[in-house]
Amino acid sequence: MTAPLLEARHLTKKFPGVVALRNVAFALAPGEIHALCGENGAGKSTLIKLLSGIHPHGSYEGELHVEGRVAEFQSVRDAEASGIAVITQEFALIDELSVAENIFLGRAPRKGLRIDWLEMHRRAAALLADFGLDIAPETPVRQLGIGHKQLIEIVRAMDKKSRVLVLDEPTAALTEQEVAVLLDHLRRLRAQGTACIYISHKLDEVFAVCDRITVLRDGSTITTLTTRDATIPLVIKHMVGREITDLFPRKAPDAPGEVRLAVRDLSVAPAKGSPAFLHGISFELRAGEVLGFGGLMGAGRTELLMNLFGAWGHRLGGEVALGGQPFPAPTPRAAIQRGLVLASEDRRRYGLVLHESIGFNLSLSSLPAFTRFAGRIDAPAEHVRNQHFFDAMRIKAPGQTYRAGGLSGGNQQKVVLGKALMTEPAVVMLDEPTRGIDVGAKLEVYELINRLTADGKAVILVSSELPELMGMSDRIIMLHEGGIGGEFTRAEFTQERLLAAAMGHTAAHATAE
Amino acid sequence: MNARTLLKSLAMPLALLAIVLFFAIREPAFIGPRNLTQLLIEFSIIATLALGMFMVILTGNIDLSVGSGVGLVGGIAAVFIIKHNLPAPVALGAALLAATLLWTLMGALIVKQRIPSFIITLGGLLIFKGLFWLVIENSTVPVAPGDSDNLYSLLTTYYAPANLGLGLVAALVLFLGWLSWRGRAARLSHKLAVPSAGVAVGKFAASAAGLFSLVIVCNHFRGIPLPLLILGGAAFTVYFLTQHTPFGRYLYAIGGNEEAAVLSGIAVDRVIIGAFALMGVAVALTGFMTTAYSGNSTTTVGDLMELDAIAACVIGGTALKGGRGTVWGVLFGALIMTALLNGMTLLAVSPELKFIARGSVLALAVWMDVRFSRA
Repeated sequence: MTAPLLEARHLTKKFPGVVALRNVAFALAPGEIHALCGENGAGKSTLIKLLSGIHPHGSYEGELHVEGRVAEFQSVRDAEASGIAVITQEFALIDELSVAENIFLGRAPRKGLRIDWLEMHRRAAALLADFGLDIAPETPVRQLGIGHKQLIEIVRAMDKKSRVLVLDEPTAALTEQEVAVLLDHLRRLRAQGTACIYISHKLDEVFAVCDRITVLRDGSTITTLTTRDATIPLVIKHMVGREITDLFPRKAPDAPGEVRLAVRDLSVAPAKGSPAFLHGISFELRAGEVLGFGGLMGAGRTELLMNLFGAWGHRLGGEVALGGQPFPAPTPRAAIQRGLVLASEDRRRYGLVLHESIGFNLSLSSLPAFTRFAGRIDAPAEHVRNQHFFDAMRIKAPGQTYRAGGLSGGNQQKVVLGKALMTEPAVVMLDEPTRGIDVGAKLEVYELINRLTADGKAVILVSSELPELMGMSDRIIMLHEGGIGGEFTRAEFTQERLLAAAMGHTAAHATAE
Repeated sequence: MNARTLLKSLAMPLALLAIVLFFAIREPAFIGPRNLTQLLIEFSIIATLALGMFMVILTGNIDLSVGSGVGLVGGIAAVFIIKHNLPAPVALGAALLAATLLWTLMGALIVKQRIPSFIITLGGLLIFKGLFWLVIENSTVPVAPGDSDNLYSLLTTYYAPANLGLGLVAALVLFLGWLSWRGRAARLSHKLAVPSAGVAVGKFAASAAGLFSLVIVCNHFRGIPLPLLILGGAAFTVYFLTQHTPFGRYLYAIGGNEEAAVLSGIAVDRVIIGAFALMGVAVALTGFMTTAYSGNSTTTVGDLMELDAIAACVIGGTALKGGRGTVWGVLFGALIMTALLNGMTLLAVSPELKFIARGSVLALAVWMDVRFSRA
């Protein structure tokens, strides 16, 4: 085998109170796509931060080698100069600039002192077309959805002609079609000799595109497998240190209870005076039931949830009843008071106050419950309640005073869920609750959903992953361009039917009967 | 604790020490009881305003109108007394009410019409200045008729007698001791880590010693000045609100992540309006004290005080983006600002240089905010 392009030897990285990496070894061969797999907190992100210069040389023990030479990155810039480009889960795009400006940020083509706008837009258009993206280069990034933003970042990194591309959960927010495009591009780049470190919780993608898989667990390298010789259950076994037999352990109660949420002919516009975006939405949700919502990106799943919660859009018509009583003009505050909660898809933006503690975030929606004489918060009572949820959600952190922003994605998600559940809701709306979190944490979320419905709560689950949607829902409604594309009971679930409904082929439902 | 955080936590105390040493060496009267009492009055005035500003900045907003407001509210009260012969308590009450209403209105404009607070309060700065000069008709209005005393003039001329001062401090020390004992017991009952008994007693003894020496120094002049008691009340109120009530939590949450705060069911609009209403109360208290301190309401009262208040917050570690800061930090920042201004006045530094020094400190404080909050 050729000498590694990038190699880590005996890496150990300590944070106050935690050893994040323990004597880690990792080697990336030229022209290979190498997956890093592991649960939340296994050390994947920390390893990436060492490789990319975010944690500078000297802050860790061990050595990094690039093409056989010792590398001592002091900054991200040093790493980029060595040809290592990182695309993280947090977007490094500037919302107010155009797509083209973002792609060429800091390296805009120039004509003398002026920026050569024509050339910039021409090159951006070519790159976007190359990527199969139908986006005008002048479009402000702010107008793009989360999936498109991710793709723009990948386009930017690919244009920088990096030799090592580090992709941290690149497909977490992408539709299946977008994922297929991305994987094709990675294969094309591999053929041209670019190496890639690929971090994803989606093991089917890992198996579709990666040559080798390195598994991390609790900060140590467990094994490096050749993909040909590995299987998904084997990788999962290495990741969690035990075997997971049932990926989707949905246990539906025998019979659903009374109607908790009834929506009739709802239509919603993004703002007053604009045309309807959601239209003709009707459904009922019963106690003890999990109702899944699927659809392609932009079909209106998140918007529907946000509108029911009172955080988005202008209602044009329709009726919503919560717990049998009309709920015509919701606000998040009123919704929470009436037992309807939403755990948002974008937890860093909508879910958490990142620089505050876990406890601060957990109790944020429930403070009135701890308020005593003269408006004083009963701190001990609050602490006890926080600790209960901290334990019940199995948040992995030194304690509830730990900063929420320092947690891994899965643990942040648990804090968001804990905050929602502390309000003792009757209806729980979960928007992509397992996005970007690992297999073990996903299982915990699924078990949590089972516990909620066993307690008589009603759950709405929005997910882009069809296997998850099919595995955990009792009923599924597929949305298509703001309307209902089809409704399916458990017996009718097949990937083909659901996808057809998502793409507007209503005939699929008819043939199912 | 690494060198960087150590440096960060020691930078401000060292800066204060350097300022005090510099002025004390150049002019020993700086640390005499008489000047220290003056300094405490000036400190109380700036710090009260800064405490109001603190809650506004916590939400990620700013208030540039408070300097003009201080002049206006003090002027309204003085005009009520001198030109309309109202009793001082009624005049002060009416002016306080007016300030609270004006600031509630500004808060409502900011949240309901979605106009940035920077713009609304910049408008307020000019409008209040104009109103102020109209109210006092560009003249000098004394706070009390003739040489007589009223509640207004006593605000900065009353000193608690020596024994009352000692009694108050003794009561305060007992109260602080009870609070920390109770907090410790509550943490212990939940099996939480507490500092060792020695450290706790040491801290308590140090703050008790500090408070008693403060009152002894004051008693060497005329006793504890009333503004310090007003500040004490204001500081306790703001501390309680920000650290022990949902309202305070919401201030931090809104400044930390406003979108998340909305989705967490917080009535963000009401909380921001509340912060501005409390700013109005702080403006009124400051307006009364600062007008009383100068003896008259004249066109220059309150000039640039918004900048002193903002500087005090930022020097004390309040992040201009919102979401971070402590009452202790704000008091500390106000102390640094006051020591500088007072010392320069004592050394008869020219007004030109005072402006430059004030501006430099403000710029330096914001630079440090940017630099350290990035880390």
